[in-house]
Amino acid sequence: MFEFLELAIDSAVNSGAKYSDARILISKSRNIAAKNGEVENYNESEKIGIGIRALVGSSWGFYSTYDLSKSSLTNAGIKAFQIAKASAMVSGDDLPFADVPVVEDSYTTPHDENPFSVSSTDQVDLLLRATEQMKKLGSSRASGRLDFWDTEKWFASSQGHKIYQNIIESGGGISSLAVGDGETQIRSYPQSFGEYRTGGWEVIKGFEFEKHTERLSEESQRLLVAPQCPEGTMDLILEGSQLALQIHESVGHAIELDRILGWEAAYAGTSHLELKKLNKHKYGSELMNIVADATLPGALATFKYDDEGTPAQRVDIVKEGIWTGVLSGRDSAAVAGVKPGGMVRADGFGRLPMVRMTNVGLLPGTSSLDEIIQSTENGVYMETNRSWSIDDLRLNFQFGCEVGWLVKNGKIIDMVKNPTYTGITPLFWGNMDMLAGEEEWVFWGTPNCGKGQPSQVGHTGHPASPARFKETRVGVRG
Amino acid sequence: MKIWDDLLDEVKKNLPDEIECELKFMHSKSALTRFANSQIHQNVDEESAEIYLTIHKDSKTTTISNNLTAIKDVGEFVNKAIVSLEDSPIDKGWSGLPDKSNSYEGFKDIEESTPDDRAKVVKEFIKEGKSMNAAGYCSTYINNYFVWNSNGLKSCDSSSSAFIDGIFRTDTSAGSSHRGGQTLASLEGTAAGFEAAKLATDSQNPVDIDPGNYEVVLGHEAVSTILVFLEVYGFNAKSKIDGMSPIIIGEQQFDEKISLVDTPEDQDSIGFKIDASGSKKLNLDIVNNGVPKSYFHTRRTANELGMKNTFHELFGWGENFGGIGTNVKLLNGDKSFEDMISDVKKGIYINEFWYCRVLDPITQVVTGLNRNGSFLVENGRITKPVGRLRFTQSFISALANGNVNSVGKHSRYSDSEFGEGILSVPQLHLKEFNFTGGVSG
Repeated sequence: MFEFLELAIDSAVNSGAKYSDARILISKSRNIAAKNGEVENYNESEKIGIGIRALVGSSWGFYSTYDLSKSSLTNAGIKAFQIAKASAMVSGDDLPFADVPVVEDSYTTPHDENPFSVSSTDQVDLLLRATEQMKKLGSSRASGRLDFWDTEKWFASSQGHKIYQNIIESGGGISSLAVGDGETQIRSYPQSFGEYRTGGWEVIKGFEFEKHTERLSEESQRLLVAPQCPEGTMDLILEGSQLALQIHESVGHAIELDRILGWEAAYAGTSHLELKKLNKHKYGSELMNIVADATLPGALATFKYDDEGTPAQRVDIVKEGIWTGVLSGRDSAAVAGVKPGGMVRADGFGRLPMVRMTNVGLLPGTSSLDEIIQSTENGVYMETNRSWSIDDLRLNFQFGCEVGWLVKNGKIIDMVKNPTYTGITPLFWGNMDMLAGEEEWVFWGTPNCGKGQPSQVGHTGHPASPARFKETRVGVRG
Repeated sequence: MKIWDDLLDEVKKNLPDEIECELKFMHSKSALTRFANSQIHQNVDEESAEIYLTIHKDSKTTTISNNLTAIKDVGEFVNKAIVSLEDSPIDKGWSGLPDKSNSYEGFKDIEESTPDDRAKVVKEFIKEGKSMNAAGYCSTYINNYFVWNSNGLKSCDSSSSAFIDGIFRTDTSAGSSHRGGQTLASLEGTAAGFEAAKLATDSQNPVDIDPGNYEVVLGHEAVSTILVFLEVYGFNAKSKIDGMSPIIIGEQQFDEKISLVDTPEDQDSIGFKIDASGSKKLNLDIVNNGVPKSYFHTRRTANELGMKNTFHELFGWGENFGGIGTNVKLLNGDKSFEDMISDVKKGIYINEFWYCRVLDPITQVVTGLNRNGSFLVENGRITKPVGRLRFTQSFISALANGNVNSVGKHSRYSDSEFGEGILSVPQLHLKEFNFTGGVSG
C-alpha cells in the first residue's frame, strides 16, 4: 500500500505542492439493530479508497477516490494540487505547518476477539434475547444495537512517514421505550445511543445486557406515572455518562483550536475561549482537571498516531480549574504557536482530516456517588442523556436526561420524569464541588460527534465519574 | 454507465435462480470549497461508488454493501451475501420487490463544475461583506443512481445540486444566508452575501431581553428547521410505528394556513425522481390547510401499517430509519416580509435556529437557540438587535391552529438541521413562541 501512497504523493509534490500526505483505508463495519425480539437492520460493509491532501499557499486541496489504479493515483495527486491551487482566487497568508518526528511504525488495537471473527448469529441472538425480554416485560418498544468497525489505515507523507494502524472498535446498547398518554419515556443501558470502546467482542460481553433488561423496562414504565422534575435552582448530581456528554459539549468542542481560530465559524461555530487567555482563564472549580489522552487503553479515541502522523499523547486541558491546553493539529498548532497535539483525524478515506477530540476526560476526584448523595440536602440526581443543546460559543447549554431522582436530606426519595438542567459553561463548572473517585471512573465513548463540511462523524472518548454541581437551574419545560 | 452494466451482468451470472435480489449502485462526485476568515482554506473533491446487495429467500433477508474497490470478485461478493443469508433470522417485515412497472430511466451525463467555478461564487459572496469576517462553503454534487431487482425493475436517474452557505461576523454579531439549486450557475452568490452582510451589520451590539412568550417572525432557515423536525419525528411512518409520532392523519393539527407538499415531479426539485427502491416518486399532499394527509412511507412501513407506499425510501440509511420527503415545499401565503414585520406588535425576528434537540418526540417539544441575526420588533418596526435566547417550544404547537398569523409569499431552498436542498419554504409569522432562557442562562 505504501507504494500506492507514494505514487499519489509524488504526483502532488511534483505538481507543486509544498507538502502532501495520503491515507489508504480498508474500512469494515457491521451494524445490527433489533426491535422487540426481531432484527430490524443488519448490514455488513467494506470500503477501500485513498484520500490525498496537498498544501499550496494558504489552502489545503483534498481529493479522494475508490479507484486505486496507477493512473488514478497519479491523477489523484495532480487533482489535490489543482484543487488547492484554485483557492488562490480567495487566498490569505501561507498556512504554516509544524514538524513532527518522521516515523515508520505500526499499531493494532489490543483486543481479545476480533468482532468480525465472531459469528453474526451469536451477535444477533444477544440483541434478540435482550429486546424480546424487555418487550415481554411491558416495553412499548425494546431496541438494541451493536456496531463494529475494523479499520486498516496506511499513512504516508512527503516528509517520509510510513505508518500502518489497525483500529478495532466495538459498541452498542439496549433501550426500553414506554409510550403513555401523549408522552414517551425511555431508559437506556449502558448509555443513550450505546457505549463504544476500542477493543473486540469482549467489550460487548462486558456489558452483560441481560442483567439490565428488567430494570430498563420497569423504570421506563414507572417514568410514565412519575411526577415531573421540579423547577428551580438546586444541587445537581450527574451520573458519569451524562457528565461525559457535558464534557464533550462544553469543554471538548470549546477547546478545539480550529474553532478558536474561526475555521469552523460557519457551521460548528467558534468558542468562548480566546488564545490570549490560555493559562489564565478560570474554566471551573479547583476539582476540575481535564486531560485529552489518546493513549488510554480501551478508550474509544485511542490510537498510536493521528491522521497527520503525529504521535498520540496526553495533554493537560484544564488544571485545577485553569484552562491550560487546546486540541490541535499541525497547521492550527503552527498558527497558534503551540505544540501539535496529535488530535487530527478523518471520517474515512473520503474526508479531509480535521481537529477531533481524543479522550477528553475529567480526572477522578476522591468522593463517591453514595457520599455525594448523602451530603446533598436538596437536589436532583440525573442519569443518561436524552437531549442536548448548546450555543455556537459553547456557553449556553440545556440538557435533558432520561431519569431524575429527587434527593432530600441525603437520600433518594422519588423518581422524577423529564429532568432537564441549563447553565453557562464557566459558571456551571465553577459550581462543581464534589467528584467521585477512580472506582466509578468510566471511559465513556461517543461514536456520533458531527463536525465539518462535508460532514464527518467522529469517535471520541470522555472518561468521567459522577459529580455534583451546586445551585443549578433544573426543570426547564416548554 | 459502463461500471453499472458490467457489475449487473456479473451479479446476474452469479445469482442462484430461486433468490429474490435487489442491487443498488450509487456513483457520486461531490466537491466543496470552504472559506473562513474571508479566505478559502479547505477545498475537497470526492468520487465514490457504493453498492448495496439485498437478497431474500425462505423468509430471510440480508444486505451487504461495499464500495467498488472492495469488490475484488463479484462471485465472492454474491456468495458472501448468500452465506450471510443462511445465518440470518426470519425477516417478518419483508415487503417484496417493486415490479417492472415502477421502472424509470433518467440517467444523463452531467458536466462537472471546477474548483475555479466554486471559488468565483465564494468570491461573490465574500465581497458583499467588505471588512467583515466571512466563513462558509460552496458545494456541488452529481449523483447517478441505478437499481435492478429480480422482479423485473430496472431504474436509473441522475441529479445535480449546488449550494452556497455563509456567514459574516463582526465583533458583536453575525448574519447568515443560504442558496440552493440544481446547478452552480443558478446560485445567487451576491444576493446571499448581501443578505448575510446586512444581517451582520444590522445586528451589531445586541441587547439582552427577558425570556418569555413572544410573537415571532421566522426566517427561511428557522422555518425549515421546524419542518424538518416534523418530517423526521412526525411524518416519518417509522415514528408512527414506534408510537412516537405526534401526527394524526385527518385531524386539524395545524393552522389552516399551513399546507405542505412533497414535489419530486416538479421541474425545480433537487434530487432523484426515484426512491431507493427504484420506484418513481410522485407528488404528495402532506398537510392540506392544516390537516395531515399522509406519512412518508417505505415498502416496510407501508406493509407494517397496511397503508399505501409513498416511495420515500432513502439510499444508505438502513431499514430501520423509515422515510422522509426530500422535495418538501411549504406553500406560500400572501405576505411580504415587510408586511409581516409591520403586523408585529411586540415580537422577535429570528433568522436561524441553532442546535435544536427534541425533549420528547411525541409532544415535539424542542429546545434550541437563535443565531446569525435576531431583532426586536415593536409596533411594526424592527427596533434593535437582540442577543442569544434559548427556546423550549413544541413545534406542533408552534404551527397549531390559530398560532400562525401569516405565511410569506417568497420561498427559497433553505438549510436545516438535517441537511440542505430538501425543503423550500417561505417566512412565517407566529403568534407565540416560548423562550426559556437568555444570555445568562
